[in-house]
Amino acid sequence: MAGVVTEHVQGADKGYDEAVREAWRFLPGEKPLVVLYRLKKYFPVKGLIRVKGWVRAVDNVTLLIPEGKTLGLVGESGSGKTTIGRLVLRLIEPTSGSVFFMGRNIFKLRGRDLRWFRRNAQMVFQDPYGSLNPRMTVYDIINEALRTHKIDVGDPKEYIIKLLYEVGLNETHLYRYPHEFSGGQRQRIAIARVLALQPKFIVLDEPTSALDVSVQAQILNMLKDLQRRYNLTYLFISHDLGVVRYMSDYIAVMYVGKIVEIGPAEEVFEKPFHPYTKMLLASIPVPDPEYVKKKPPIRVVGEPPSPVNPPPGCRFHPRCPYASEKCKREEPSLVEVEHGHWVACWHPLN
Amino acid sequence: MAEEVYEKKVLDRISDALIDGLVSIIDKVKPGWRVKNRGRIEEWKLMLYALNRSPVGLLGTSLVVLFIILAIAGPFIAPVSYDTQIIFCDRDARLAPPRTTVQIPDNPFCRKLGLKPGNFTMLLGGDDYGRDLWSRVLYGARTSLVVAIIVMAVGPWIGVLLGLVAGYYGGKIDELLMRITDVFLVFPGLILAIAFSAVLPYRIQDVLSVHPLLADVMRVLFAIKPENEPQLASLLSVIVALWLVWWPFYARLVRGMVLSAKENTYVEAAKALGVPSWKIMFKHILPNIAGPIIVFYTMDFGGVILTEAGLSFLGLGAVPPLADWGRIIYDGSRYFPDAWWLVFFPGLFIFLTVLGFNLLGDALRDVLDPRMRRSIEFKIKKRVVVEEVSSGS
Amino acid sequence: MGANRCRDPIIVVEDLYINFYTYAGIVKAIDGVSFCIERGETYCLVGETGCGKSVTSRALTRLILPPGKIERGRILYYPEPGKVVDIMKLSEEELRMIRGDEITYIFQDPGTALDPLYTIGYQISETMLVHGYINRIKEGISKAIQLLKETLIPDSEQRAKSYPHELSGGMKQRAVIATSLANRPKLIIADEPTTALDATVQAQIMELLRNLKKQRGLTILLITHNMGLVAEMCDRVGVMYAGQLVEEAPTEELFQNPLHPYTRALLRAVPNPLKKIEKLESIPGTVPNLIYPPPGCRFHPRCAHVMDTCRRQKPMFIRVGDKHYVSCWLYSRR
Repeated sequence: MAGVVTEHVQGADKGYDEAVREAWRFLPGEKPLVVLYRLKKYFPVKGLIRVKGWVRAVDNVTLLIPEGKTLGLVGESGSGKTTIGRLVLRLIEPTSGSVFFMGRNIFKLRGRDLRWFRRNAQMVFQDPYGSLNPRMTVYDIINEALRTHKIDVGDPKEYIIKLLYEVGLNETHLYRYPHEFSGGQRQRIAIARVLALQPKFIVLDEPTSALDVSVQAQILNMLKDLQRRYNLTYLFISHDLGVVRYMSDYIAVMYVGKIVEIGPAEEVFEKPFHPYTKMLLASIPVPDPEYVKKKPPIRVVGEPPSPVNPPPGCRFHPRCPYASEKCKREEPSLVEVEHGHWVACWHPLN
Repeated sequence: MAEEVYEKKVLDRISDALIDGLVSIIDKVKPGWRVKNRGRIEEWKLMLYALNRSPVGLLGTSLVVLFIILAIAGPFIAPVSYDTQIIFCDRDARLAPPRTTVQIPDNPFCRKLGLKPGNFTMLLGGDDYGRDLWSRVLYGARTSLVVAIIVMAVGPWIGVLLGLVAGYYGGKIDELLMRITDVFLVFPGLILAIAFSAVLPYRIQDVLSVHPLLADVMRVLFAIKPENEPQLASLLSVIVALWLVWWPFYARLVRGMVLSAKENTYVEAAKALGVPSWKIMFKHILPNIAGPIIVFYTMDFGGVILTEAGLSFLGLGAVPPLADWGRIIYDGSRYFPDAWWLVFFPGLFIFLTVLGFNLLGDALRDVLDPRMRRSIEFKIKKRVVVEEVSSGS
Repeated sequence: MGANRCRDPIIVVEDLYINFYTYAGIVKAIDGVSFCIERGETYCLVGETGCGKSVTSRALTRLILPPGKIERGRILYYPEPGKVVDIMKLSEEELRMIRGDEITYIFQDPGTALDPLYTIGYQISETMLVHGYINRIKEGISKAIQLLKETLIPDSEQRAKSYPHELSGGMKQRAVIATSLANRPKLIIADEPTTALDATVQAQIMELLRNLKKQRGLTILLITHNMGLVAEMCDRVGVMYAGQLVEEAPTEELFQNPLHPYTRALLRAVPNPLKKIEKLESIPGTVPNLIYPPPGCRFHPRCAHVMDTCRRQKPMFIRVGDKHYVSCWLYSRR
């Protein structure tokens, strides 16, 4: 496989072959764009004098984000999904491990290379009210992106208007300030700013969770449409399983800093192997009274543990109805239970 | 279906004219600016409307504008120069009470002093050298304004810069810069300034003698005679002293605001876009925390004027025969309360000027508050609803 | 209007109008809302941000703070069948005795609903003290522990002595629920009680509310934007849009036979996690600004079936089926 790797990535950084070999197991047959390799991010918990402990926000995650596809990252608060989103864009530095973007280790990039990466990997934030500078007009906001990367687009005004049309706005919005827009429109502006750079990879960090359902659908459809047109690669971070299912090709489920299940979206939803995935799916309220009547009663036990002192062994075992002695002692690693469907559990379901 | 009409007062029309004038000038220099900044122009107008609706703000603005006019025009409208000793032409000029009229005899000596023969009314009286107090107060206004401008053009910005860097980068840089700031903060500003301005004059004397151009520029700014150039050194030393004591407060203020402002998602968004750090600091963080800084900055003009007068009163800063409000009070205090005007009038000018800047700063707090602007927008826009139904049927 | 829709109502709201006098203008937040809640049912008010569902729920005990003002309308509370209290005519003191006693609230953010300076047990006891059920805080502690047990908080003796920051979000919300049960609640108003919580915790809290309702015979008014919760929890649903009640129906009826174009669009815009969806349907446009609401039907600028009448006249809230009401010109027999 290593041969294949070097074939389509020229000038790959040291360690890429190894990383890709390990990450590729999870999504065979896909072309890797971003590879996370044994990524760790621990945040110190500061006491009065010294560090009291570490929040293991991301703990040894190896993952592959396939080109032109959407990888959905699901988990509850404290699962580390947002930290991963920030790590893959190098908005924060990892404790250890690496992230490769088109074969380059992003934490080693400097100067021109770093700017190349910044241009190609972008993010849409959760909060459309905070992600736009209130003192800049739409034109300035988008133009800043162009100027930062010295992108020659001829007449920037014309280019920006074209972008605005692309996200469902128009030239009358050009010189307005963010406060004059609704949440959905602001998210469109944020998307236009990202598109201006013609990136390859976009991290979507709960892009619609601050929006109303009627607007959410508009944004989601637009994102899907843009992906098709520009062959974009998405890392879609969300806690809303309905939205994730709608958007994603593959899904990785996180629990307290670890990936517990990964596979094609349909399979994970239709046939979850990890008890946590099952519990998560069962706890989503379904907008269908007919289904609700037939729905088997679920047992949801406990709450997500603190990532400061995660339980030993399998981190889910205190809440797991199938937990055995082994689960309390030994930590399971991801194993393939069906073709392309991996789960980290000693007693997978089904 | 709905039309909005404005109800404007006279002041608002003047404000509009002012802004429109300014905008057309900018538009001439940078074509297309007006169209791109429609929103900003609207905000500027609303800010002025807000100011027009605040009596305190109007009073402050008037006082400040009056002070600035006096300071600029003062040396030109002053009846005589700051060091003209009328006593040589009429002995009555010594410690003359306000509105004393002295007789200037027609002789070459008096002409040389710049005094016309005949009656000369000393509006605010005269000091012990028989100098015209009104003229000296006008020259003093110039001194205060120039000192304030030079101090405020440098001191606070050192603080803003350090505060931005400390707050944005955090960690060790923050720690280091803030400890230095602390050292400056624990010394009372005035005492520190006294120490500096006691030591600095000699050094500055040297600098001025090496750079005659600098000396000339300063002389013109302070509107003093060439023969008084040596006296500049102590005035300039006060300015340097005030630079050194005027930044720590701003460093603290700005750092605190940066710490909260950098948590905004748009800062992270800018980072994700690859915007360089200095640009994030100056384009994304600074404009968004500018409001409180502008308020303090405005008020500090008064603060600098007061401190400088205080230093001069203590014998540091302006030396005779230069005109300076603090110095005039100091020199006049020996004759207090008999020659009360020597203390009262410069004191009144200091009071009104500082009051003006404080009131203006206070009003700016409201003017710069976007919510205030929205409320003004709502209040002055009177909505006339023409329902389709009623017009149709 | 509102009264004759219920057999044995606990709350009847008629023709409620609420305005907010903000710096930007007068927000016509609630525009003629009428509904009633049947004793013992779970009634849902569902809608998007700013549709007025929260304001309506607060208005039930006149919990509207300036700049908000109830312009007109009738709010009748029936503590027992046949006994009527006119909420609009009560004094502030009388209202205070009802709030937190017979009608209690559970708000979205459990973090701010609890005072960080006092223990959970103290805060529960305080509610009882305020309403005169006990004379000293100490008397209430054992009852508080009992309530914490009832809301399935593990280790409740210890938890009663804990401060809010020592509890997780889910536990805090349970503690808030325990507080609301402290006296003799008849109606619990839960305003987005799980929006700030994780999915698994949300499921637990909803399960708890369902069981408490059964055990204690409570009436629940659930305010939510989540269609899934509506389907799981509610007996009857009122759909709100831009300050108006646009449709009301029993839950199953609403999901099977939504009539108002907004309800229909809303149901199709929610991604269902259990189904593969090829294309979500979205509603064009955005929620109107309620300072200058559109004339006529407030939904008309976004409506696919808009007619001339819609732009001019506000549609009536009419009965279209058993317990099914809608406010839309499509169904008006003129």
